[in-house]
Amino acid sequence: MYEFVTGPLLWISFLIFFSGTLYRIRRLYSLTEKREVTVTPPGAAAPPAAAVSAEERKLNLVVSFQNSLLGKHPVMAIVSTIFHICLFAAPLLSQAHNLLIYESWGISFISIPDKLCDVLTIIFLACAVFFLVRRLTVPKVIAVSSPYDFLVLFITAAPFLSGFCAYHQWLDYKTVLTAHVITGEIMLVAIPFTKLGHMVFFFFVRILIGGEYSFGSGRRAWKT
Amino acid sequence: MNDSQQKKAEAEKTRAVLNHNQAKIKLCLEACASCSICAESCFLFNNNNHDPRFMPSYKVINSLGVLYKKKGRVGTEQLKRMQDLVWRNCVLCTRCYCPLGIDIPDLIALARSLLRTRGVCGVYPHTLGAPEEEYIMEWDPQELSDPDEDPDTQR
Ligand code: HEM
Ligand code: SF4
Ligand code: SF4
Repeated sequence: MYEFVTGPLLWISFLIFFSGTLYRIRRLYSLTEKREVTVTPPGAAAPPAAAVSAEERKLNLVVSFQNSLLGKHPVMAIVSTIFHICLFAAPLLSQAHNLLIYESWGISFISIPDKLCDVLTIIFLACAVFFLVRRLTVPKVIAVSSPYDFLVLFITAAPFLSGFCAYHQWLDYKTVLTAHVITGEIMLVAIPFTKLGHMVFFFFVRILIGGEYSFGSGRRAWKT
Repeated sequence: MNDSQQKKAEAEKTRAVLNHNQAKIKLCLEACASCSICAESCFLFNNNNHDPRFMPSYKVINSLGVLYKKKGRVGTEQLKRMQDLVWRNCVLCTRCYCPLGIDIPDLIALARSLLRTRGVCGVYPHTLGAPEEEYIMEWDPQELSDPDEDPDTQR
């Protein structure tokens, strides 16, 4: 069992994850097109920037901070950022994972001490519990929650929960380890095909698609 | 045109608009993490006692989302609720903010287009000075009717 889940099944999961992610990116490309409309008409010079006093600049900064995610929803912004950082850092930097990667291909990323990885996992699980409690108690969140949202949160948290149990040798080690690998594979496969696909959506939309809130060039627009 | 022909023609129009936008609707609905961060960016949500029926993602999920899932087969009662959601509860001011970049007003506009194919249009009785009883929403946000049990569901 363990040989199978860490062998062929792992390869299949990676394959599905990468090809699914590529498919999602392609799909987003095909649903959008290069934006034709620009604020400044072609050939015209951009309007001169109005002179802004130091006070105005300060006020602008204050107002944009107040209107930002951090200003409006500080708890959510911080918990969510920590959640997502741990989500990537713990598995990619874990010593145990890097050892496996090194044994397979002779390469490895930077790794962090096991103790630190354990702390990241606990912080991650605490954030997941925060999301769960929020989903169960806050009326506006309840109003848009479906069983699917709980499932997605569970799929995300399961590999961390099982990894935590494996590290602390709780329950039967071999079984827990197998469960850890399988839940990790389920998460990988789920990313391109579920709500977790927001990873690709986020970067594509907020960087490439033009709009008030885009970070990047915003050179594309949805096809109509 | 008799009644059933009319209904058939309407259903075809609805499906045409749905099919044309299918891929985008699916992607956007699926990207939504149901995090509710968009709620406070809507002035109507803030000014209506934080009633979830004014929350941007709620409006999308329960109008466009349902029309998409049911392939347009929803009954009169549900259409009425969707009408409340996308006209009464949203003025398409485009001020809503979603961290994932979901264009909520675009999706609400699409829901309006779909409702128009069913002959449901925007009415603003409250702006025309109608008494409150005429435009108050008489349904509970947690109890959306099951379209399969709605006798008027269009097949
Ligand atoms: C690096 C790219 C990613 C970005 C920018 C991103 C961004 C976001 C944002 C903005 C939210 C909504 C706010 C919130 O609830 O915190 C969210 C929610 C969520 N994300 Fe991500 N995400 C990314 C990758 C992932 C991945 C790879 C997973 C899982 C494998 C994931 C799992 C989740 C979960 C479970 C939620 C819902 C939390 C809840 O129940 O409220 N995210 N993400
Ligand atoms: S902020 Fe965006 S992702 Fe969150 S509930 Fe609203 S529409 Fe969905
Ligand atoms: S477009 Fe509609 S949902 Fe968005 S902020 Fe304006 S009224 Fe609210």
